[in-house]
Formats: sequence, structure tokens, C-alpha cells
Amino acid sequence: MTINDKPIARPARSGLSRRTLFKAGAGLAVAGAASAFPAPFVRAAQTFKIGFVSPRTGPLAVFAESDDFTMAQVRKATAGGVQVGGRRVAVEIIYKDSQSNSNRAAEAASELILDDEVDLIVAASTPSTTNPVADQCEINGVPCITNDTPWQPHFFGRGGDPKVGFEWTYHFFWGLEDIIGSFTSLWSQIETNKTVGALWPNDSDGNAWGDPKRGFPAVLAEKGYGLVDLGRFQSPADDFTSFLIDFKAKDVEIVTGVVPPPDFANFWSQAGQQGLKPKIVTVAKASEFPAAIEAIGDRAEGLSVEVWWSPVHPFSSGMTGQSSAELAAAYTAATGRRWAMPLAFKHSLFEVALDALKRSEGPGNPDALREAIKTTNYASIVGPVNFQTGPVPNVSKTPLVTGQWQREGKSLELRIVDNALASNIPVQSTLVPIGAKG
Amino acid sequence: MTSQTPPPLPVTVAPAPARAPAKYAVTLSTRTSRVGETLLLVTAIALCLMPWWGDRSLIRTSTEFLYILALAQMWNMLAGYAGLVSIGQQAFVGIGGYCLVVFGVQMGLNIFLVVPVAAVVAALVAVPSALVLFRLRGAYFAVGTWVVAEVFRLLTANASVVGGGSGTSITAAVQGIPVWWRDALTLWGAVILGVGAIAAGYFVLRSRYGLALQAVRDSEAASGSLGIRVRRMQWMLYIASAAGCGAIGAIIFISKLRISPSAAFSLDWTTTVFFIVVIGGIGTLEGPILGTILFFALRGLLSDFGSWYLILLGAVAVIVMIRMPDGLWGWVLRRFNLSLFPTRRRLDRTP
Repeated sequence: MTINDKPIARPARSGLSRRTLFKAGAGLAVAGAASAFPAPFVRAAQTFKIGFVSPRTGPLAVFAESDDFTMAQVRKATAGGVQVGGRRVAVEIIYKDSQSNSNRAAEAASELILDDEVDLIVAASTPSTTNPVADQCEINGVPCITNDTPWQPHFFGRGGDPKVGFEWTYHFFWGLEDIIGSFTSLWSQIETNKTVGALWPNDSDGNAWGDPKRGFPAVLAEKGYGLVDLGRFQSPADDFTSFLIDFKAKDVEIVTGVVPPPDFANFWSQAGQQGLKPKIVTVAKASEFPAAIEAIGDRAEGLSVEVWWSPVHPFSSGMTGQSSAELAAAYTAATGRRWAMPLAFKHSLFEVALDALKRSEGPGNPDALREAIKTTNYASIVGPVNFQTGPVPNVSKTPLVTGQWQREGKSLELRIVDNALASNIPVQSTLVPIGAKG
Repeated sequence: MTSQTPPPLPVTVAPAPARAPAKYAVTLSTRTSRVGETLLLVTAIALCLMPWWGDRSLIRTSTEFLYILALAQMWNMLAGYAGLVSIGQQAFVGIGGYCLVVFGVQMGLNIFLVVPVAAVVAALVAVPSALVLFRLRGAYFAVGTWVVAEVFRLLTANASVVGGGSGTSITAAVQGIPVWWRDALTLWGAVILGVGAIAAGYFVLRSRYGLALQAVRDSEAASGSLGIRVRRMQWMLYIASAAGCGAIGAIIFISKLRISPSAAFSLDWTTTVFFIVVIGGIGTLEGPILGTILFFALRGLLSDFGSWYLILLGAVAVIVMIRMPDGLWGWVLRRFNLSLFPTRRRLDRTP
């Protein structure tokens, strides 16, 4: 879907364009003639085009539920244009679906760069979208801002060198050290036998989390946890019997992992059928979303998960002025849906993009824009973003806490139960073992 | 010709009728076929010169068009001429793609020189695959090809040297090449594969091998009884198609820059060409061209509609399959007897 603020004049092109051919081919003679004599380009230079790639369809579609709302907010915030160095610049967002597929994500990015000639690309939601998009931007020299992928799979997964970094691509999110630290802190809240069963799929996330050196295994051993790891499984998976037999035999009381929602729903219902009763289940990706939790039903009560943003996070948006609670409330009012973490992260992508635009030299000057992104020091709805202070170049870290789905009347609410790594985010409750009435 | 001419058969020639007897000749070329040949040549030249006259966006789209067309021709060659329905051609696309990682990124070979290497590797891998697959027939063969592709996907996903299930970026191998050369070389590679697949198919199918192949397609048993070595023909085509898919895989992932087992060995590669060939017209050289044009047009118009795009694509396929079982070009062929790249011999009355 392309969202236009207003009709935009065609940009200058050197040769015959694909669109020109396409329209002519489709028999749209008028359009063909119009593009043969393009309008003057005075106005085109005043439009800043942002390409936005997100998994609107496919297994990760739940990450993109808030995209339409976010784009409507950005459109409203930039309705009168943005002041850049004394002139008004119109902002246009061009939205592309990655179909949760890295081939399609690369294609979408390349279309945005070559066909739409965007000034900046923003992308989010797991390595299958952010990595191929960032690779296309890096090789084609287009500034790119991404989030919602732990920084290690994003940086090292693309062959990043901590001494050099990347030239065009910038990323903000938490990392494996945060997830490991907050999970183990969460688990120490209640008494268990410290035996952890792992569900790590054979994908970018699963391989990073299960990496013997950089991932969970080393830290778990250090902190005295026993690990039951049957190796990486192929997602999508519909039969977890081998995991369940082993988990039961070794008396697993804590289940963790990073599992796509449909796979986890299979695992958890089979665990119920086969009588695995862990005290703690902290599985990322699968239990981050109200929609996925509702699909699991009553058995979702007590699942815990990392929380990268919530309505109680003490941050506010520089684009709309809303606090975290106000943003969540506005989303529910507009769509009837409950808040989910990507809402704020998608919002923050555009906050950081517009902040960089204001400090740049406007459209058509990628080098200045890159410098502006590089020197970002911005208070966003997901926390401070500063690419100079990250663990590796081009990366900025955002805070991470953990929460649990606890019953509140009829529905389940995600409450923050541990904040060991980000004490500025308030705790709402404490961890309750699954099945215990808290 | 033997030196001794056999004596003429004792045939009594009937007295000449009032009108001269009609003469017939077997012809392959027609006026439209000469138009087709010229058109192909002109298009190929125009495409090769595109880096000088087109912009990057057009080059990128043309490259994609050509590699999808080449892939469709590879599948058409198997299903339309050898009677081998494969739903596992993604195995060779993936192998070609992963050759980029092994030979390009890890061994430092120029990424464009990897393309022919990928063809050779894919052909070599096709030999043992064929040994297993050719024990199966029909639907079992089709399922078998898919199984082989899945085996390769899982093997790659568990090979941590090439990045395992996470996949890997090949930007490092492309970084040093200037943009103009990267675009141009990728396009030329795609032109060689796309136009080459049509040209090669055209010349092979018009040769005596082509005649044999078309006989095999129509009836394996009958052509076998006429002395055609059916299995050998199918073997050769299977391996040639694998080599083509390998080279195409390398070109595809040079433009995608990132490869992972699920992307490289994706069933989408085969379902896309399945759609294209079935819509366009199976067993013709023009069909895949028409199908690819239609596919790109539909994608350009509808791909922003999310899941509806796929539903519409499916609906188009169902309608065409019911209304025109031999595809759009099959309909043209029947209706107008028009063929740009005729591979059928026809009996024409000469004046």
C-alpha cells in the first residue's frame, strides 16, 4: 500500500523507467505520455521518501498489526511538512510487505531503492526482514534504520566487524546479554530445580540464542543451571514429542526459547496432553502478543516473556508528545485491539527517521542524512537512541525487562515482574509459578 | 546413400489427371517463425545494451524477469517435453545460490565466475539424485523430487560452515564491484540464461532429438517401441535442467545479496514457474514468455493487497486451467495456428 500525503511530482530519471514501460504496456496511454514529458522537478526535491518494509503477511504478520496505525500517526504529524534547514519538506511513506520471507524482503528493499528512489529505508521485526533489507541498503548506499531484532543476529549475522561497523545501516534494540540477564534474574524469583529445557529453532534467532559461546549455554552453566538442549529444530514444527519425552525424563521445570507463535502453540498444547508441567515458561516471540496469547486460551496464564516496551515504560514520543500509556490507549481507541510491543518500536523508527531528517540537508543528500543518523541522540518512546554509545558501531541499545501474563478479570494482562537490568521501568507484580493460584 | 541404388518399385503410375497433383512438403520455418527469430535476436541485443540506455530500476526488473523466465523454461523443458513433472527444481536453485557462499565469499572467486561453476556443481549433484529419482514414475517422481529438495535444504540448514539455518550475507563478495558493472554483469548473466534457454530449446527441439523428445512427451511407450531411448533422453534433460537452475540460482542470489536455506530451497521457486508455465502454455516455447509477462503484470498490479494477491493469483490459475487447459499460448496456437518459435513439423501444401 502506498500512502501519499498529496500528489507528488515525478522525480527526474535518466533513462526509460520500468514504470513507464509497465504503464505503456498496460495500455495506459495517458500515463505513458505523461511520464514521457515529466513535470518540472522543483517540487520533487522537496519530498522526503521513506520506504518501510515490514512482515505484513506470513507467519510473522502479528508483528505488523500496528503498521497502519503508526503510518496514519506519522502522516498526521508530518501533514504540513517538516522544517529542514529553513524549508518545508513533504514526507511520503512507501510501505512494502516482506511476507515474512527474506527473499521478498530483499526484493522489496531493492524496489524501494531503484524504483521508488527513496531517501531512507526503515524496517523492523526479526532478522528475516531486517537483515536482507539492511544488506540491500548497505550495498546500494541508502541510509537505513532498523529495529526489533536482537543486535547480535543483526550485526554478526550480516558479517559485521566490530572494528569497522557498517557505512549506511543503523540498528537499535536490545541484545542477547540483556535477554540472558533478565531471564535468569526472573527465574531466580521462585524456587526451582534449575533445569532448563530449550526450544531453539534453526534460524537466525535460535542459532544466536543457542550459540555455545555467545548465547545462553555458557551463562546458564556459569549460573548453575542445568540445560536440556536437543539441538536446533526446523520451524515450522508440528510435533514436539521428542522434546517433551526428554524434558519429562530430565524433570525440566523451566522452559525457554525463541519460537514463532504457531510452533509454540503446538508445543504448549502437546505439553498439556503429555503431562509436562513446568513451573516457568519464558518463551520469546511466541508469547509477546495478545493475539497469540488469546489463541492459546486459558493455558496461556502464567507464561512469561521479555518486555521491550509497555504502557508503563517511562518514555514519551518526540513525534506526537504521547506518553507510553497514551500511545497504547490511542491505539486501542483507534483499532479496538490491545497494545503490543511492536507498536512503540514501529513508532520509534519514524521518530528517529524524522529527527535525522530535521538535522540533515533534506531529500537527495544521502551523505548528510547518514551523518545525521550517525550522530542521533534522541529520547524516543522506547528509550534513548544513540548510535555512538552502543556495544558495536551502528548499534544503539534499548532497555529490557520481563513480564508475565496474569489474570485480570476475564482477560490476561502482561505485567512487568522483573526489572533487574532497567530499574527505571517500574515493576507491577512478581513472578507466579504456572498453575499456582497467585 | 549406398552406391547401389535399389531398383525402382514396380508401381504403375496412374494416368495423369487433368489437374497437376498437389505437392506437399514438411516445413518447420514459417513467416512468423522468421519474425520470431528476428524478434528474439533484436530483444537480446537491446537487453544487452540496456546498461547504456536504461536506468537501474529497469535493469533490475529486466534481470528478475529474465531469470524467472529462464527458470520457467527449465521447468517447461522437463514437464513440457520430457514428461517429467518435478516439484523439486528449487534444489538446484539453492545449490547454485550456495555456490556463491562457498566459492565466492569463502574461496574468493569472482562472484560472476561462480555462475558457470554453479551450473557444473548443480549438474554433478543431479547425477546421484537422478539415480534415485529415475526409479520412480509419474506422481511418485514428482514427490521424490520434492523430497530431494527438502533433503538438500535440511543438509544446508545444518551445515554451520555456510551459516546453517541463519543463512549468510554475500555482500562481502560484491562490495568491491562498481555498481554499474554489478548491474550490467548480472543483467548479461540473466540475458544469457533467459534468451539462451529459449534459443537452446528452439534449436534442440527442431533437431531430430527434439522430434524424439516430443514423441517421448506424447507417449513413452510408443516412442520406446519406435527405437527412442526414452530414459537416456530424460536423463540428459534432467541434468541439463539442473545445470540451468544452478546457474540461475547463482544469478538470483547475486541480486538478493542474502541467502538462507529457507529462501534458497524455497518451494516458491517451483510454484512460481509452475504457475507461469501452466498459465502461459506448457510444451511451447512461447508459453513461458507469455506466462512470465502475465505473472509480472499481476504482481505489479496486485502485490500490495497482501494475502488477497495470492488468492487472486490462485483464482487466475484455476480459471485458466479450467477454461484453457493448454494455457494461453495453447489457445492461440489452436485458434490461429500461430507460432513464433515453431517446433512442430507441419505438412504444407506447396503451390
